Amino acid sequence: MNFDFSEDQYLLRDSVRSYLSDHWGFTRLRAAGARFDPTLWQGLCGLGLQTLLVPETFGGAALSLEDAVLSFEEFGRALVPPPMTDTILVSEAIARFAPETLRAALLPAITAGTARLAFAHAEPGAAADPHHVGTVATQTGEAWHLHGRKILVPAADAATALAVSARLPDGRTGLFLCHLPSPGLTVTRNVAIDPDSMPGRVDFEDTPATCLGHPAFIRLLATSTAAAAAQMIGIADAALDMAVNYAKQRTQFGQPIGSFQAIKHKCANMLMAIETARSAAYYAAWAAADTANTAADLEHAVSVAKASSGDACRLACNDALQIHGGVGFTWAFDVHLLMKRGKLLEYSFGDATWHRERVAQRILETADATAA
Amino acid sequence: MDFRYTDAEEQFRRTIRNWLAENLPPGWGTTFQEPEDEAERFAFRLGWERKLHAAGWSGISWPKAYGGRGGTLVEQTIFQEELARANAPEYVNIIGRNLTAPTLMAHGTEAQKQRFLPKIMSSEEIWCQGFSEPNSGSDLASLRTRAVLDGDSFVLNGQKIWTSFAQYAQWCFVLARTDPTVPKHQGLSFILLDMTTPGITIRPLLQISGESEFNEVFFDDVRIPKANLVGELNQGWRIAMTTLTYERGPEEALPRLVRIGRDLDSIVQLAATPRSDGTRPADDPALRQKLAASHIDLELMRLTGLRSFSRLLKGEPIGPEASLNKLYWSEMYQRLTETALQVAGESGALMPGDPDAPAAGAFALKFLQSRAMTIYSGSSEIQRNIIAERVLGLPR
Repeated sequence: MNFDFSEDQYLLRDSVRSYLSDHWGFTRLRAAGARFDPTLWQGLCGLGLQTLLVPETFGGAALSLEDAVLSFEEFGRALVPPPMTDTILVSEAIARFAPETLRAALLPAITAGTARLAFAHAEPGAAADPHHVGTVATQTGEAWHLHGRKILVPAADAATALAVSARLPDGRTGLFLCHLPSPGLTVTRNVAIDPDSMPGRVDFEDTPATCLGHPAFIRLLATSTAAAAAQMIGIADAALDMAVNYAKQRTQFGQPIGSFQAIKHKCANMLMAIETARSAAYYAAWAAADTANTAADLEHAVSVAKASSGDACRLACNDALQIHGGVGFTWAFDVHLLMKRGKLLEYSFGDATWHRERVAQRILETADATAA
Repeated sequence: MDFRYTDAEEQFRRTIRNWLAENLPPGWGTTFQEPEDEAERFAFRLGWERKLHAAGWSGISWPKAYGGRGGTLVEQTIFQEELARANAPEYVNIIGRNLTAPTLMAHGTEAQKQRFLPKIMSSEEIWCQGFSEPNSGSDLASLRTRAVLDGDSFVLNGQKIWTSFAQYAQWCFVLARTDPTVPKHQGLSFILLDMTTPGITIRPLLQISGESEFNEVFFDDVRIPKANLVGELNQGWRIAMTTLTYERGPEEALPRLVRIGRDLDSIVQLAATPRSDGTRPADDPALRQKLAASHIDLELMRLTGLRSFSRLLKGEPIGPEASLNKLYWSEMYQRLTETALQVAGESGALMPGDPDAPAAGAFALKFLQSRAMTIYSGSSEIQRNIIAERVLGLPR
C-alpha cells in the first residue's frame, strides 16, 4: 500500500518546476502575447518531456501517465501554454493505436521536438457528453476524410498535426490524425476567454486523415480528462498561494486582511477542496497507467478527478480574485490569468455535472445489481 | 504507486473476516438487534469488546510489552476496516484506546504504563475525557477546574461538561489548572482520576437525538494522588495537544469511511426503490447529483486518507491534508444525512421504533447525531482557523 510518488517521479517534477521558475513565469507569459514561444518549447523539450510516453524503440522514455501527472500539475501552476500537454498525450495514442507507417513517421519527430500535436475535440453547440461529436468521418475505399468544425483547439496554429475526434459510420466516435497543412483544413484563432492558450477554430472540408479508431478515442479522452484535472490542481494551488500572500501583506483597519476570520475561512476551504481533489487527480493518473484496471474503473477514477478538481479550481480562482479586492479585477494582476485557464479546463472533456452523472449511473447500476 | 495489499495482509484480512462471521451474535445484520435501552446497549458492546480481547484481537498495533499484538499499522487498519464492513458493535472504550493509551505511551511513566495500559487493552477499565467546561469549549485553555497540591495529593474542584461515558467510566483524564498566576496555557496539568473517588457527581445530559451519551461532571474536593500526574506539573497543555492529534490519525479515518460507505449504500438502495407512484428517487437528476457528490466526497476522503497513511507507514511526517480530515468528514457526513432525508421523503421523519420508518429510522437518528460532528473534537470554525494559521501561515 503506497500512495506516493517515487524519488524519480519527484525528481522529474523538481526539474520541471525548477526550469519553469528560472525561464518562465507570468511576466514571460504576458510577453509571449498569445503567440507560440519557441524558446519555451525548446526548453521543455530539453527536459525530454515530449518523450515521456513514447516507446523506447522510437527514442522515448517509455514512462506512464503516473510519471507525467506531476508535470501536468506544474504546467497548470505556471500556466505553461500548449502544445506540450497534448503532444505528450497524443504521442501515447499514436504509439498504441496508429498504423505502423504513421508511428514510424511521427514518433521520431515527436522525440526530436519537431512535431507538435493538438487534440481537436470541442465543437460549437456540442452535447454535454464528451463522447458525442458532430464532426463526421467518411470512408472511401481505404481513405478517410473529415468534415466539421472544431473550436478551442490548443495552439492549433502552432501544431504540425492534429488528433481529431469524429463520428464513424457506425455512430461511435473515433480518433483521427491529420497533418498540417492539409487540403480543406483551415485554422483561425478563436476569440476566447483565455487567449494565452492560443485556442483555434479548425474547419475540415473533406480533409484527408488516418483512422486510429474508437478505442484510441476512448483512451485519449480519458488521459486528456485526467491531465486537465492535474492542471487544474496546479492552477488552484497557484491561486491559493497568490491569495494567501496577498492576505498577509495587504492591510486594512490597521491589520493584515489575512487576520480576519472571513478571509482565513475562505483560504481554509480552498485548501480543503484542493488537497482532497489532488488525491483524486493523482489516483486517476495511476488508474490510467495501471494495466490491471478495467475501463469502467478508469472512467470512474477520471470522473471523480475531473468533477472534484473542476470544483476546487473554480473555488480557488474565484475566491483568490475576491480576496484581492479591486486589484484582482485588473488586467495587471495575475489572478485572472489563472481563472481564465481554469475556466477553459473546467468545461473541457465533460464538466463536473456530467461527470457526477456518470458516477451516479455507476453507483445505481451497482445498487441494482446488488438488489437483484 | 501501488494500491494493493501484500499476500500476508490479505490473509490477515480473511482471518479476521472469518473470525467475525463465526463470532458475531447469530442473526447479526439481519434479525439480531442491539438492546434499545442505553445502559443495556453499553453492557452489550462492552461484552463484545472484551470478547475481542479474549480472542487476541485487541491492541493490534500496540507494543507486546503492554499486551498488544505488536502488529503493523496496516494490520491495525485492516482489522478496523473489517469490523466496520461487518458493522460490528462499536467500541465503548474509544477514549481509553485512542486517547489515553497513546498519551501514556508517549508521556507516561513506566509505572503508569504498566498500571493502566493492560486494563485499557482488555477493556476492564473504561475511560472518559475531562477537558471541556461550560465556559471553556473552543477556548479550552481558559478552563477553570482547579487542582491544588496538598501534601501528596491534588485537591480537585470544578466542573467538566460533554463528558462521554462518564456514567460508565472507571477512570478519567482531567485537564486542570495548577497555577493560576501564569498565562493560561502555562498553568495546566494532565491528571488521571479514579472515578470512584469521593466528591464526584455525574449528571447525564439529554441530547437532541434522545440519547444521553454525555454528562456534566462536578468535582468537590476530590483528592488525587500526586503520582497520577502525567508529565510535568504545568505541562498539561502540551500533553493535551498531543492527545488531540491522536484523534486525527489516518488509521482511524480509513475504517470510519467504511461505516460511512455502508450508510451511503443504504441510501442508494432506497433511492433505487420505487415509491407508491412507481417513480424512484433516483429518477430525479438533481438527486442523482447529490448521490454522486456524496460518493465522490467519500472517495476523496478514502484517497486522501491513503495518501496520509502511506507517509505514516514510511515514517514521514503527515502533510497538510491530515489537518483537513476531521473538518472534511464531519461536513460531508452532514451533507450525506440531509441527502438521506431527501431520498426518504416525509417518511424520513420516522425514528427508530416506528414500524414504517425507512432503514429502521436510521436516517432521522443519524441526521440528528450528525449535527454534533461539526462541533466536537474542535469545531469547524476552529479547524478552519487552525488550517489558516498553522498550515497557510495567515496571521493570528
